[in-house]
Amino acid sequence: MTAGTGHRPQHPPLWRDIRVLHALAQIVAAAAVAVVVAVLWWNLTNNLRRAGLTTDFSFLTQPLGVDIAGSGAGPGTPIWRGLLVGVKNTFALVVVGVPLLTILGVVIGVGRLSTNWLVARMCAFYVEMFRNLPPLLIIFSFFNAVVLRLPLLEDSWNPMGLAVVNNRFIAVTGFSAQPGFGVYWLIIGATLLAAVWLWVWRTRRWERTGSPHHRLAWSGGILGAVTVIAFLVLDGPVALSIPVLEGRVLEGGFRGLGSYFAVLVALVLYTASHVAEIVRGSILAVPRGQTEAANALALSPWQRLRYVILPQAMRIAIPPTISQFLNFTKNTSLAIAVGYAEITRIVFQTIGNAQPAPQLVAVLMLAYLVFSLTISAVVNILNRRLRYVTT
Amino acid sequence: MKRDRLTALIAVTALTIAACTTAAGDTTTTGGPGATGPVGGGGSVLAAVMDRGSINCGVNNAVPGFGFVDADGNHVGFDIDFCHALAAAVFGDPDAVEFIDLTAEQRFTALQSGEIDVLIRNTTWTSSRDGTLGATFLTTTFYDGQGMMVRSDSGFTSIDDMADTTICVLSGTTTELNLATRMTGIGYTPSTFDDNGQIQAAFLEGACDGWTSDKSQLAGVRSAWPEDDGGPEALTILDETFSKEPLGPAVRDGDAQWAQIVDWVVIATIQAEEFGITQDNVNGFADTENNDIRRFLGLEITDAEGNTSVFDAGLGLPADFAAEVVAAVGNYAEIYDRNVGPDTPLGLERGVNALWTNGGLHYPPPHR
Repeated sequence: MTAGTGHRPQHPPLWRDIRVLHALAQIVAAAAVAVVVAVLWWNLTNNLRRAGLTTDFSFLTQPLGVDIAGSGAGPGTPIWRGLLVGVKNTFALVVVGVPLLTILGVVIGVGRLSTNWLVARMCAFYVEMFRNLPPLLIIFSFFNAVVLRLPLLEDSWNPMGLAVVNNRFIAVTGFSAQPGFGVYWLIIGATLLAAVWLWVWRTRRWERTGSPHHRLAWSGGILGAVTVIAFLVLDGPVALSIPVLEGRVLEGGFRGLGSYFAVLVALVLYTASHVAEIVRGSILAVPRGQTEAANALALSPWQRLRYVILPQAMRIAIPPTISQFLNFTKNTSLAIAVGYAEITRIVFQTIGNAQPAPQLVAVLMLAYLVFSLTISAVVNILNRRLRYVTT
Repeated sequence: MKRDRLTALIAVTALTIAACTTAAGDTTTTGGPGATGPVGGGGSVLAAVMDRGSINCGVNNAVPGFGFVDADGNHVGFDIDFCHALAAAVFGDPDAVEFIDLTAEQRFTALQSGEIDVLIRNTTWTSSRDGTLGATFLTTTFYDGQGMMVRSDSGFTSIDDMADTTICVLSGTTTELNLATRMTGIGYTPSTFDDNGQIQAAFLEGACDGWTSDKSQLAGVRSAWPEDDGGPEALTILDETFSKEPLGPAVRDGDAQWAQIVDWVVIATIQAEEFGITQDNVNGFADTENNDIRRFLGLEITDAEGNTSVFDAGLGLPADFAAEVVAAVGNYAEIYDRNVGPDTPLGLERGVNALWTNGGLHYPPPHR
């Protein structure tokens, strides 16, 4: 390959050829990684075998043995289904928590830049307090000092008859399915897609021609109309479900265990403080000239924020905010401290009940990896949509 | 491409964990991998213990009477005394023990990885723990059973009354398995924590109606219930016992010698009770004519012609290990009465934990 001393005498010998050296370095590095991996793998299997422990995943079909609160999983449920309940419970924290912490974080972050002294001070206080406490401490405090101090089951609060609050669970009014429920949601789903398409179409038209878009009226109108008409045609496919406590039994409503709310509120408060700082930093990172330009165009403060500052700040804020979403997801494992049955809790519980730890920990890592990669993927799609388009 | 990287990432992380486990395991091996030691453990635990000069004993620190840290920071309790007994047998020094506090969920990993030499932490002997956790269970030290504790003013008199209640239980225990079995067909919500302190907080605030655990543990918790919250009288342990909980020491699979040592130390305490040998009189048997007792205490045995010999069971322990054990912690009855017996705050009668001669289950195999 590097022969040819005849017509290219300036070519260096092999051991000084930078390309050969680069390739060699790559090979050496790859070999080193392979050796390390092989040694670790040998270590793992050898030690497990010597300790008389299993290395396969057949245990996943064994019975779980325990009941999981707030789910149908019981002694006869296979372990893999129990693990899925854990994943579902983690998801229940993430899917509610992430939107809440985003809204709270943005409000606090913008509030901290407010020209109103009191608002700015209060937001700063909030951030400094929650950002500087360990999340486990917040969860513990919230569970022991707030959730457990709620009224006893017998003395449950029943605000306006629409909710039941005690130190075991919080139930709120929800919906219950009636005949025709499935069809109804299909119709709503299709209408929602149509509404989004209408919105986009009206927006594009407005950008192109400048004629008023009225996109809220179009989209909202069609969604509202179809919702009401379908409801009437299908003769009430959903009904309000009001939670009622009969003795110790709760009928109706959506129920969340006290431990769920403790973890949710504590982690939302904690993570929002970080998001608030990201938001504040991103707004400050928008060049001052942009504000001055908006002022020169006589935009109102709201218009300035909505059309000039926030769109640019958002681009800066999204990547670090993804990290906070991932942190939130991973921090949900702290729920173990207050006994909420998310995936870490279920995995540790299962290990405690005589199932193999290495495999279960591998399953746990896989679960968090899937969670994190999914969140990253979703937000990255959003990020790509919001990037500066250079033409 | 992306998936390859992902797979590699998972593999590396899993292996790192495995490697850490190995590192911990190596602390108990003397010959390294492939040494001539027994299969499984990687080396002789006894040799490692002798080298180190102390025994790593995995214990509880939150159950009064069994494994508890007292106001002076010392470990005390029924299980703790068996750790001392083991140290007395191996070293002749009951204090050559390192106590390692473990939660229910940590205990078997600690045993598998070699962090501890023996687990004496109110641990129930079950088939799946024997079969899949690489643990060997030894002579039962305490025959227990699961019960339910409720507030005295709750009006519950049997578990069947407790439909639709919330019940607090420690996670990763046989207790929660038994609870699920017992409550089949009775609706209930389990509230699982991995720490007795957190259960106590929830129970104090009325967030659960019942607290289920081994009856001995419930008695321990009840005995220490804060006076501000009504003291022990505020709590009632229901009569029903709904499980068998043989509690005893466990060691890693694969080292038969170490297992036998732990086994025979436990048996020695029971045998001493049967012989009537106590901490106070153990040194007074030098002239006894009873050769069973002479063998047990490692005293010289003289035949008709005046030849003497000393019995050694070949366990790898000094011939007089039983004497050391009894001198250090007393016989089984003394250990029991001191920690959990009728005169302690727990106030547990002997019941099935009596000697076989008194209608109980403790039946020591002969020492010969």
